[in-house]
Amino acid sequence: MSSPAALLQSDTLGSRLTSRGDLTSFFMQLTAEIGADSYMLVAIVHDQDRNDARIVSSNWIFDAIELIGKRLIAGLAQGALTVAPGIRPRPLVASQAPDADGLISGEEARLLDVLGHAEIYSLRLNVGRQRLFALFSAAGAGKIDQPALMRAQLKCCYALSHIPQLIAAAAMQDPLSDRERECLFWVSEGKTTDEVAVILGVSSNTVNSYITHAIQKFAASNRAMAIATAIRSGII
Amino acid sequence: MKHADIKEAAEALFNAQRNPFGAFSLGSETHHAVTIPDAVRRCRWISVDINAMAFGLFFVSPSLERARLVPCLDSDYPGIAVATKFIAGANGEEIVRHTRISTEPRWWADDGLPGMQEAFSDLAWTDQMAPLAPGTSGIAFPVHADRGQCGLVVFMGSEIALPQEALYEIHARCFSLFAAVARIRPGDAGKTRAISKRELECLKLTANGNTSEEIARLLKLSVHTANQYLTQSTQKLNAVNRNQAVAKALRLGLIE
Repeated sequence: MSSPAALLQSDTLGSRLTSRGDLTSFFMQLTAEIGADSYMLVAIVHDQDRNDARIVSSNWIFDAIELIGKRLIAGLAQGALTVAPGIRPRPLVASQAPDADGLISGEEARLLDVLGHAEIYSLRLNVGRQRLFALFSAAGAGKIDQPALMRAQLKCCYALSHIPQLIAAAAMQDPLSDRERECLFWVSEGKTTDEVAVILGVSSNTVNSYITHAIQKFAASNRAMAIATAIRSGII
Repeated sequence: MKHADIKEAAEALFNAQRNPFGAFSLGSETHHAVTIPDAVRRCRWISVDINAMAFGLFFVSPSLERARLVPCLDSDYPGIAVATKFIAGANGEEIVRHTRISTEPRWWADDGLPGMQEAFSDLAWTDQMAPLAPGTSGIAFPVHADRGQCGLVVFMGSEIALPQEALYEIHARCFSLFAAVARIRPGDAGKTRAISKRELECLKLTANGNTSEEIARLLKLSVHTANQYLTQSTQKLNAVNRNQAVAKALRLGLIE
């Protein structure tokens, strides 16, 4: 059976994770354990037709983030190299770019290399229904221990499960009240205003006002767009 | 086959390919397009590796009001195990709620088996829950596939051997097994008729807040045609109106 000795420090830190500060120490520890230098925890937000990265936690230097740009980070986090748990990961090696995957240009690859991201792994993290991405990178190619990385991927999923509200707030930004979310959910199930009013036991005017508020909060132009925004961000 | 026989057969199969990283290096195990019998076999291998007696794979129903597990396969395949019936019933409600917000495994132990209780409580990252089936002990792994499908892989037995190091590997294998199963059983998508490229374009623009008039202008169609595409896609998705069609298309991963 398992002995306490089998536990690494990341296990201890992660399974007691409750705050934002704990999250940082957990990721720092995990990064060191797998032989990486940098980590970045990213949520992808859909804005109309393009994807943007929302950085939840990271030890990348400020200039690297500025120079690489959120768009490219979103591409790296949710690109062809990104793997779900249980799939053997494959790194993006900056010195070999641009490669067949066409994720980054030669110029961007040189920049990554100079900034200490010679190899980058991208992992999909499932935290309940929410989905985040973790980038682990090292200044030298081949430094990251792959089997340890695959274990780390599960550890990240577990650790983030401890702070669902924090993750939702940092990554998804759920601006809706419980009632607004409930109304929007029923509308997404194809119910009309009158039907939602019956389901929730309130008047149609109230339902309409909840939905209007939801549409305004999402800066959406109509119900369909509000529903789409809410589903994309995992709110309903 | 008896449990011991299965174990022997599986060991024979795997010994040749085994290496220090176990399943993590078995690339073939992850990318195979599987059939349900293949999936049962793969699940049995995992089950044998942790010395479990029985297993089951479930889908979590996507609708919020029905917190139920939909059985997909179990160790009595092609039959249905008694435990599966308990898990798919009211016993599964707690773990469904858990699976929606967390990826951590949950275990339960029968009162008559203090050994199992002790072994499970030593595991980091896991916690105890109410028994999924009476008179059993077991562990449940929440899993997720590419298109947002959500599921649960459950192992039961009285002598499950799951050291801490193996926990991650077993969970990772459950993830890749579920991803393979989700591809052959893509939820509602299997029942929907093929939706054309044009229809998807119209749905996508609707999801982005465009009206029929705007879609017609953007795609250089008449308003009537744009509406027709939307009506067709709504019907094909078995939805009652556009709002539901947009929601279904997004949840099924037909549009981003």
